[in-house]
Amino acid sequence: MAVFDTPEEAFGVLRPVCVQLTKAQTVENVERLQAQLQAVSDSALQELQQYILFPLRFTLKTPGPKRERLIQSVVECLTFVLSSTCVKEQELLQELFSELSACLYSPTSQKPAAVSEEMKLAVIRGLSTLMHSAYGDIVLAFYEPSILPRLGFAVSLLLGLAEQEKSKQIKTAALKCLQVLLFQCDCQDHPRSLDELEQKQLGDLFASFLPGISTALTRVITGDFKQGHSIVVTSLKIFYETASFVMADEQLRRVSEVQAKPAVEHRVAELMVHREANWVKNTSDKVTVLIKKIIECVSVHPHWKVRLELIELVKALLLKCSQSLVGSAGPLLKALVSLVNDESPEVQAQCNEVLRHFADEKVVVGSRAIADVLSENLHSLTTSLPRLMNSQDDQGRFSTLSLLLGYLKLLGPKVNFVLNSVAHLQRLSKALTQVLELDVADIKIVEERRWNSDHLSASAETLASQPWSRIQRRYFRFFTDERIFLLLRQVCQLLGFYGNLYLLVDHFMELYRESVAYRKQAAMILNELIVGAAGLEVENLHERHIKTSLEDLREIVTSILEEYISQENWYLVTCIEAEEVGEELTVRQSGLQALTSGAHTRQLLSSPAFSQPSPTICSMNSNIWQICIQLEGVGHFARALGTDFRLLLMSALYPVLEKAGDQTLLISQAATGAMMDICHACGYESLQHLINQNSDYLVNGISLNLRHLSLHPHTPKVLEVMLQNSDASLLPLVADVVQDVLATLDQFYDKRATSFVSVLHALLVALAQWFPDADNLGQLQEQSVGEKESHLSRRPAALEKGLENTTTAEDIEQFVLNYLKEKDVADGNVSDFDSEEEEQSDPPRVNEDDTGPDVEPPLPVQIQIAVDVMERCIHLMSDKNLKIRLKELLPQKSPPKSWYGIDPSLEFLCIFPFAFLPSTCHSW
Amino acid sequence: MPLAPGTSHTSDFAGRSWSEAWTEGRDTPGDCIPPSMVAPPSPPPPPPDPQFVLRGARSAVHALHFCGGAQGQGHPLLLSGSLHGLVHIWSLQTRRVLATLDGHAGKCVTWLQTLPPGPQLLSQGRDLRMHVWDLAEGRNAIVDSVCLESVGFCRGSVLACGPQRWMLAMPGKGGDEVQILEMPSKTSVCSLKPEAEARPGMPMCLQLWQADSSPLPLLLAGYEDGSVALWDVSARKVCSRVACHEEPVMGLDFDSQKARGVSGSAEKALAVWSLDEQRALQVHGTHQLTNPGVADVRIRPDHRLLATAGWDHRIRVFHWRTMKPLAVLAFHSAAVHCLAFATDGLLAAGSGDQRISVWSLYPRM
Repeated sequence: MAVFDTPEEAFGVLRPVCVQLTKAQTVENVERLQAQLQAVSDSALQELQQYILFPLRFTLKTPGPKRERLIQSVVECLTFVLSSTCVKEQELLQELFSELSACLYSPTSQKPAAVSEEMKLAVIRGLSTLMHSAYGDIVLAFYEPSILPRLGFAVSLLLGLAEQEKSKQIKTAALKCLQVLLFQCDCQDHPRSLDELEQKQLGDLFASFLPGISTALTRVITGDFKQGHSIVVTSLKIFYETASFVMADEQLRRVSEVQAKPAVEHRVAELMVHREANWVKNTSDKVTVLIKKIIECVSVHPHWKVRLELIELVKALLLKCSQSLVGSAGPLLKALVSLVNDESPEVQAQCNEVLRHFADEKVVVGSRAIADVLSENLHSLTTSLPRLMNSQDDQGRFSTLSLLLGYLKLLGPKVNFVLNSVAHLQRLSKALTQVLELDVADIKIVEERRWNSDHLSASAETLASQPWSRIQRRYFRFFTDERIFLLLRQVCQLLGFYGNLYLLVDHFMELYRESVAYRKQAAMILNELIVGAAGLEVENLHERHIKTSLEDLREIVTSILEEYISQENWYLVTCIEAEEVGEELTVRQSGLQALTSGAHTRQLLSSPAFSQPSPTICSMNSNIWQICIQLEGVGHFARALGTDFRLLLMSALYPVLEKAGDQTLLISQAATGAMMDICHACGYESLQHLINQNSDYLVNGISLNLRHLSLHPHTPKVLEVMLQNSDASLLPLVADVVQDVLATLDQFYDKRATSFVSVLHALLVALAQWFPDADNLGQLQEQSVGEKESHLSRRPAALEKGLENTTTAEDIEQFVLNYLKEKDVADGNVSDFDSEEEEQSDPPRVNEDDTGPDVEPPLPVQIQIAVDVMERCIHLMSDKNLKIRLKELLPQKSPPKSWYGIDPSLEFLCIFPFAFLPSTCHSW
Repeated sequence: MPLAPGTSHTSDFAGRSWSEAWTEGRDTPGDCIPPSMVAPPSPPPPPPDPQFVLRGARSAVHALHFCGGAQGQGHPLLLSGSLHGLVHIWSLQTRRVLATLDGHAGKCVTWLQTLPPGPQLLSQGRDLRMHVWDLAEGRNAIVDSVCLESVGFCRGSVLACGPQRWMLAMPGKGGDEVQILEMPSKTSVCSLKPEAEARPGMPMCLQLWQADSSPLPLLLAGYEDGSVALWDVSARKVCSRVACHEEPVMGLDFDSQKARGVSGSAEKALAVWSLDEQRALQVHGTHQLTNPGVADVRIRPDHRLLATAGWDHRIRVFHWRTMKPLAVLAFHSAAVHCLAFATDGLLAAGSGDQRISVWSLYPRM
């Protein structure tokens, strides 16, 4: 198609068409004109703009009834012209504006004229294009008070369309057009920002529309969810942009008290609004009502983009109108914080972003007003929290807690205003404890046993390899959603981070002591408080906030730890132990009675939790959980204190290790987890390293607890674990504590031999491992017990190793203690067996002769220990209790490992394995 | 206030009633418990435990001394001297050995004392040496030594005379003399030799002190024949002497506020004696024990408790004013050789079983 570049050429082509149109106003003529226009270049068109517009405008202005189809095509043609040209004269702009708006004017009703949808769309586009085609200066001049009626008409027209039309296209177009009219268009054509004066002028002008715009848009926004999210998003945008423009604090600050006399006619002046204090107050009240409506509806809108836009709304209004719309601050913040944990990551991210921005700008902290509003909100939330936690479903609880979390995040250090009120702290804690109540009815908790007595490090490895299993799944009575638990933890952590830690810990410690019903929850809360206080896992929005000092934290942790590991909170009935019951009853009675007696022995512990005569499954479950929670707490404390926790190891390590050996699976898992935490926090390479480096603390605990064995029946187990995890460097310490063990065993031969025998077993295994040559030998020897021929053939090799080992043993002789007395005793014991087993002990005797000269009177410590142990084992051989004898089978295998090869010349030691064989057969 | 620091085991212990702490060891029949104070019929409370036990001295512990954190070193220390000549410095915070001093040629360290000026330590060993150690800023070097002339078991005693001066009493030559030196100049002040006819034997324990009323230094000495003598050091004469025991005096301690002292010997009794205005010693009474042999006696710095170290492995605690027995602390498995009280009331006991037990008794001072 030919393009007419020059105005002359174009004029030549267009003139006949225009004349034609002027004469006969038909659709065909309009279309012809438009067809011709396609061929005209933009610059030529600009020159001829007025000329071309004339017939079109003439058509519109011609009085009398017109066909809708004609008007529509005229408007479309106009739009085309305007889209390619600029409007440079203000009058033209005004006139065109009025003429276009009038197209949809229906004289009979308030509503837009009942015309076809295409027509409406065409007019809307025409208006939009017109505003875009106007020069910047002209546009500004256009917005003078005198235009108010016409502009108002257009605005209400567009609002009506946006609200009432069915077609999504029209709605969207109307809203877009509204944006253009209200200077909110986001296209590239209006880059110029307004200066203060212009802003004020526009603000004054738009203030008149605010009521209309806000109410109409609110109706759109709160309308059917099905209308499509983009409409709601745009409406929200227009709403907050208009409101934040008209109500902007910055503009209002400059509004003078007295209204300047407007240079317009009276009728228009009546429409003008003066934004003085009274007006602001009234408007803000009304807008607040609308905002509440919007928030209520939009915060649960199914589409995430809508919720995202809500965040923008909050941001815009709070940043720009924090004073004028102070009444809305509460609902706005509430809306914002309730989106902190939105299911959409985009919304979450944006929400956090805005929160951080607020914190940076000190919107909350800087402005007393908003801080007050916020703490007021938190106040009322804490008041209703217990009730809400009780009555809501999981979803409701989730949003309530999200809200709480958001408030805490926003308030930051100011949260103490709320916490300092006793009533509120109590309500908060009541709600938290209520919702954190565990379901303890599950029988599996008690049932699950740690049957395989794994090596500690092995179980730690499995734990490490499955990080998910680190956090034990808890079952809560009032909710099942894991996210709620996460939220609750975050809430507690934030409280610990921002709140007055002394106050909080005091409160929850009191609760912990107060009643067994709250103990577990209080412990959970305390654990998280400490984690929070240490700043772990907490995202700090308030940069100037000073964390709790490490000394304070250490002090607090120490006191909580003390409480946790105190006798009545740490040693709870978690199972019915056969051994204990057996020892209380000389004659075994029915299981029920056994149960009761078990409980009675425990009552001596004066644990208030056990005033009932017999522990029910529930109470045992509850105890198991309590211990698990406390163990988890110890781990948390370690993480919170880091290497500073080393100082607390002297009190904490022993109890934790003791629980690591617990029969109940959950407890042992939790304890191992805590050990891992301690290990990492204190900078130890491995659990073994941890235990090894701190054996002195362990030994201290072990030896003190051995003194009260009835209160600490598990002490031997700790020693067992310690032995499994230490090395030869600890021999002096071990020698020391073994003396305690043996002395205690001497007092409790009848009652608790089982647990001791397994310790002694562990001890001998450990000794065998620490002096590995002996171990190899021992294994050879062990095999040889079965098959004598092979045993004899391997003998020489074994002997060589034996000799080697004698020298290592002698190296350690510097550790030798004065155990010689016991040696004599042992000798005496052995001699009885000697005669009985003479023929069987032949092969060792041969060895003895070979290595005889190596013997030194002071025995190496490890051998001496073995001797002492064996001495005790002999006494146990005759025990009536089958269980003990069965257990003894294990140690009986190990003695050869440990000492047979070490010093074959010690005749009595050699005899032992053979002395045991017949009795082993006996027990079977 | 549950968060008050340091209320760990200590407060627990204090929470128990006095009668609970009365527990006697399992195999020793009650020392002398008044009938009214016998434990109730309900299950007997567990015997009191040490707050903690220090292991690792590697041989019997013969000397103990608390060194408060007063020198700005922060946490209090406990010093122990062992049979094999080592001095261990324990941190009471970590309960571990901080440093080991080896200066007595493997011979038993019998006495340890920190000196008033700065972190200096005086250690007496049976190698006939008394060393002055400089412990400041992690150093542990011998800065001075004094030769002893008696190989006995008698421990020395010091008395501060001025900011940088102090008086040292130690067993002198001839078996029965006490030598007084002025330190750090090591100038001999005098030698206190008992009168020829008295024949008290060797001095077994010494304590220098000063009455509030006069600046003259006085010395209390327990002798081999069981007598306790009060010397006026400046006049070099015995003010008073009283026979307290049949056996040698093993340890004594004196409470200058009440002008009352206590001594223990190898026999089954403690002697309490007092000093009147005329500086005359008078035996107030004796207190019978279950088992013979007291290695050391110590009065707590607040003058409220008395602790004795028994050869029967037990530590006995008495109310110092009334001499009521309060507790028998059974933990050690060998004779208890030495005791020390910290200024905050902590009690440490060193024993032949190579362990040091630390106890917190009625900590409200």
